[in-house]
Amino acid sequence: MLSSVKGSWCLVLGASSGMGRATALAMAREGAHVCGVYFGTSAQQEEADALVEELHGLGVRTSFHNLNAAKPQTRAEVAGRLAELTGPQGIRVLLHSLAFGSLLPFIPRDGQPDVITPRQMDMTVDVMGHSLVYWVRDLYTAGLLGRGSKVFALTSRGDERVMPNYGAVSAAKSALVSHVRQLAVELAPSGVAVNALRAGLTMTPALIRIPGSDVLAERAGGSNPHGRLTTTEDVAEAVVMLSASDSSWITGNVIDVDGGEGLV
Amino acid sequence: MPELTTPLDLEDLRATIAEIIDVDIAEVTDTADFKEELDVDSLLALEILVTLERKYGTKLAESNLQKVRSLNETYALLAEQLEAS
Repeated sequence: MLSSVKGSWCLVLGASSGMGRATALAMAREGAHVCGVYFGTSAQQEEADALVEELHGLGVRTSFHNLNAAKPQTRAEVAGRLAELTGPQGIRVLLHSLAFGSLLPFIPRDGQPDVITPRQMDMTVDVMGHSLVYWVRDLYTAGLLGRGSKVFALTSRGDERVMPNYGAVSAAKSALVSHVRQLAVELAPSGVAVNALRAGLTMTPALIRIPGSDVLAERAGGSNPHGRLTTTEDVAEAVVMLSASDSSWITGNVIDVDGGEGLV
Repeated sequence: MPELTTPLDLEDLRATIAEIIDVDIAEVTDTADFKEELDVDSLLALEILVTLERKYGTKLAESNLQKVRSLNETYALLAEQLEAS
């Protein structure tokens, strides 16, 4: 049954920019309160402060935390805060939009001796992949993910295609998609839906950090059947749309949000 | 502006960094390479940057991550920032 998100809480991991930010705004326009986690120095802090102000302008409540989302203490602190804020209701939506990884090749080349280290590989897969499992588990055991709630993770075409320097992130995305399937099955009895959204190429700060992303963007913009790149708002709209029902029957999927880019 | 800031002190900085990266203070020698010798990944380096920014009430852009390589280099970065502000 369709049910409004108005007055419910959503938790956005990676809220200060990109798809996390756009989703926070889109959910707030539907009347949802936003809890955001982001991590960074004063520059990110200022971005987040501006977002919070914008969200308040939309008449919703917020709870923003400048903390490392990959740490257990952060999960405990945020879950505790959400329990106070949401009461027995729990959260309606969790969006995992963490983009912090190492962009280095596996094999050294002439003039580029830097390759990914085991430590950087582990960190990337942990932050962008495994952390989904730990967040979902901690929120669930805290009673914050109830029947009808929705979990979204963000993957990319890089979960099956190869891009320069994207190896560790690609591995993280593959793990993420695998975790989505496993969580979907384990949470089905509880009526919690878990899906991955696979956005087409989107000009986010995370993409711009990838060396050669301008070439990728030009190619994708040219080949996308809609004749343009995906925007963060396209992805936010998909989250809002898929959160508008209390059904958990759509679960365990990778849903392309790319205007058909992957088909051509 | 932060209300409470700490004056820059090498030993205090050593203790702070040891706590963040969760190693014994003795391991954080003046020149130990964080990445090569103390197993610090870029997320931990960011954690150091964020913590120091708050502690010393200064602004440290993420572009400074490469300078968080050893205790001496981190001290120099902070000293430079604090002097400029």
